[in-house]
Amino acid sequence: MGMQGDFFQLLKEQGYQFGNPVAASTGMEIPTATTILALKYRDGVLVAGDRRATAGNMVMYDRTDKVLEIDRHSVMAIAGVPATAYEMVRVLEHSFKYYRRTQLQELSFEGKLRAVSKLLKENVAAALAGTGAVVPVFAGYDHDQGAAKIYFYDILGAEFEGVEYAVSGSGSPTIRGILHYMNTWGPQPLATLPEEQATVQALRLLASAAEFDSATGGVNRELNLYPVVKLITEAGVQTVADATLKRLYEAEVARMVQR
Amino acid sequence: MYEEPYRWVEAVGNRRQYLDEQFTQGAPVVALTYADGILLVTVSRGTPKLYEIYDRIALGGMGHPADLEKLRFSLLEMAHVEGFNRSPSDVTGARLMKYGLAPAIKQAFEEIYKAPFIVKILLAELGPKPERDAFLTINYDGTFEESRRWAGLGATPAVQAQMGRYLESQAGCEQAPLAQAFETALCAWAVGALAQTAPEPSTGESTPGSDPSEKAAGAVAATEDKAALLAHVRKTVAEKSLECVLLERKGPGSSKYRALRPDELGTLFPPAVKASTPT
Repeated sequence: MGMQGDFFQLLKEQGYQFGNPVAASTGMEIPTATTILALKYRDGVLVAGDRRATAGNMVMYDRTDKVLEIDRHSVMAIAGVPATAYEMVRVLEHSFKYYRRTQLQELSFEGKLRAVSKLLKENVAAALAGTGAVVPVFAGYDHDQGAAKIYFYDILGAEFEGVEYAVSGSGSPTIRGILHYMNTWGPQPLATLPEEQATVQALRLLASAAEFDSATGGVNRELNLYPVVKLITEAGVQTVADATLKRLYEAEVARMVQR
Repeated sequence: MYEEPYRWVEAVGNRRQYLDEQFTQGAPVVALTYADGILLVTVSRGTPKLYEIYDRIALGGMGHPADLEKLRFSLLEMAHVEGFNRSPSDVTGARLMKYGLAPAIKQAFEEIYKAPFIVKILLAELGPKPERDAFLTINYDGTFEESRRWAGLGATPAVQAQMGRYLESQAGCEQAPLAQAFETALCAWAVGALAQTAPEPSTGESTPGSDPSEKAAGAVAATEDKAALLAHVRKTVAEKSLECVLLERKGPGSSKYRALRPDELGTLFPPAVKASTPT
């Protein structure tokens, strides 16, 4: 029965299986998604991701959404195999709703973190077989603590708090160094940046990742394709409009690149 | 015993009489479409009677709290598994009612060796457009009804009919803003509440445990005069808590359900009710 409000358990009782390892020896290239970042800024947490999905050295798709809203106050950004990641997000989305509706209270932020970890553990076999590795960044507003928080995970489900920022995906080593430099010796710590400046930095960071990592897509101005940027504050999750991203990109990112 | 068909019919009849009595002390539930979505109203003493079932579906209940919880859980389970395996748009009030609630309630009612569910349930479903909003109500015996624009739960079919007549007389409510719809819902609720406590001339039986002076007041006010209805609401909310939830068509995210906070209720109350509401 679902009296404990555990939707994942309920699914299992109905015969649902999550994270079946598929034989990896078929030589098949599995699409992966890359470069996501989350950083704390003045009003909360900013989460951003480029939009490219690749299979081997082929670009599969340039409109992937890697920053997925799970509920009004939390998002999961995904690097790794989209098929597994989207399924995880679907399970989480339904789990949090089911918990709230059955137990008549919101699942705690810690409870949400554990739920992500639990799914990653279920997926270990698939991840090790190379067919379902997902390395997510989870960010949300913790109402008990009155603060927005960032957590990142390894493929085994261990959770780590990104106190100031977190990155994941193949383009992330590049920007991790930049983030450390900016935060330590830049004009001001990341956590004091106002919303627009934080967004500009996110766009610049993803542009840098795209510069050095073929699996990370940059901005496609002709097609009006910009990264996905979401802001999490006490009021909830809010998506930065493409028009805003375009304006900031033209003024603060492209200008520097063109020189 | 009950082996003979005649005995069985008699047993079911007894069961109806027993169940009808169970609801006379319960609070009616009113649901109606307004300009920006659907509004559900009832009063309760502690345990809530209005619940979120799925993204666009809300439940209102009358009856035994334990039975209501059990059925609420089975609806939640059905809705969420369906929404996960197919799509949230495949979770509809009609399917929940016809394949979830109705068979379970009917079976429990007719198995005369077992306890029936002491519940009446209302499902309100927000459609993509106002004209697709749907309401379903089910009686303790498994009979269900579908309606548009509004629905109500009351102790007896007669009470429900009276609430329906009142709501039917309020033309244009589906285009009304929240405050006006809220007032209409409160009045319809009072119509039901007063009709339930009023002595029924047809049966002549007195309801056990009810206060005779209250009954008399109910009989007078049941004339459906708005001032009298709101006066009854005012009297009720002084001792019980009013519950009001919305399914907001333009609400953020996929879940459209939202319970009104006490301060919001305070500002929505019509002046006639507000006067004596403790703040």
